[in-house]
Amino acid sequence: MALRLINNAVLRQLAAQLPKNAQIGSVAGIHTLDKIGKREIVGFGWNGTACYADRVDYPLPAVRFREPNNEINALRAKEQGDWKKLSHQEIKALYRASFCQTIAEVQAGTGEWKLHLGVGLLFTAAAIWVAVLMNLFVYDELPVTFDEEHQKAQLKRIIDLEINPVTGLTSKWDYENNKWKN
Amino acid sequence: MLRITARSLASAMRSTMIPTSSRVAAVRSLHGTEESAEEFDKRYEKYFSREGIDAWEIRKGMNDLLGMDLVPSPKIIEAGLRASRRVNDIALAIRWLEGCKDKCGDQKATLYPYLLEKITPTLQELGVPTLEELGYDKPELALKSVYDA
Repeated sequence: MALRLINNAVLRQLAAQLPKNAQIGSVAGIHTLDKIGKREIVGFGWNGTACYADRVDYPLPAVRFREPNNEINALRAKEQGDWKKLSHQEIKALYRASFCQTIAEVQAGTGEWKLHLGVGLLFTAAAIWVAVLMNLFVYDELPVTFDEEHQKAQLKRIIDLEINPVTGLTSKWDYENNKWKN
Repeated sequence: MLRITARSLASAMRSTMIPTSSRVAAVRSLHGTEESAEEFDKRYEKYFSREGIDAWEIRKGMNDLLGMDLVPSPKIIEAGLRASRRVNDIALAIRWLEGCKDKCGDQKATLYPYLLEKITPTLQELGVPTLEELGYDKPELALKSVYDA
């Protein structure tokens, strides 16, 4: 009983939303038929939509690229006959009526990588400048313990205290002869 | 209340589950036979050569083939070209050639001349120019930026 009530409530809510959303409201909207004009549907598009995109892995989209006009219709009539009578110009016109770009054009480089490389280098340069300026104006001097004398003293202290004698640094120190083991 | 719900659920499950399981079994049983390359070629050649094939089916077959990890054999390419001729679509024939050339991948230097040599008689018979004759082996036009349109 409770289930049915909830179900009814959900259905009512869905029904209330329907007219607001044109995509659900009209069948043409779902199948993108309202967007393709007079273009001929010639195949199966992605998810069944009548859409056009040049893709190498799916080279034949669902609709022709251009809407038919008198010129193309005349060429289509000529296409019915012997293809040897078509000039290269006419063949290209027919091709461009069906498709936007050739596959060679799809695969041609756009040169966009140069922009990305340039912007990447700009940011790298900015980061380097930030690091330089931070070192100049923000950070303190390094502590005195970073000079060689203090580092040697530190090492001597580690050896004297026999820190980590099994696997660590002092395991390599020969305490009998006071030198490093070979 | 609960019992009623459970029973209706169970009957709903049964009605949906049973056809599904039998369908799965049917698909699984297909795994037993492996199609040889010759059979595959023959199947697609037959598909494209079928009398009364329409442009939709041709495109479906071509898109399927060009989505597979293979280079279509010259026989299939020829059958595809003839199918395009039957539906009077030269743009389709040229796109099909382009797609087949693209399938050669990094072996274009060796595979594509071989394919072209095999299909040249058909191309000449149908009057389909090669991509090189049309200049479609290189980019012809630049795409206008959408911001300029």
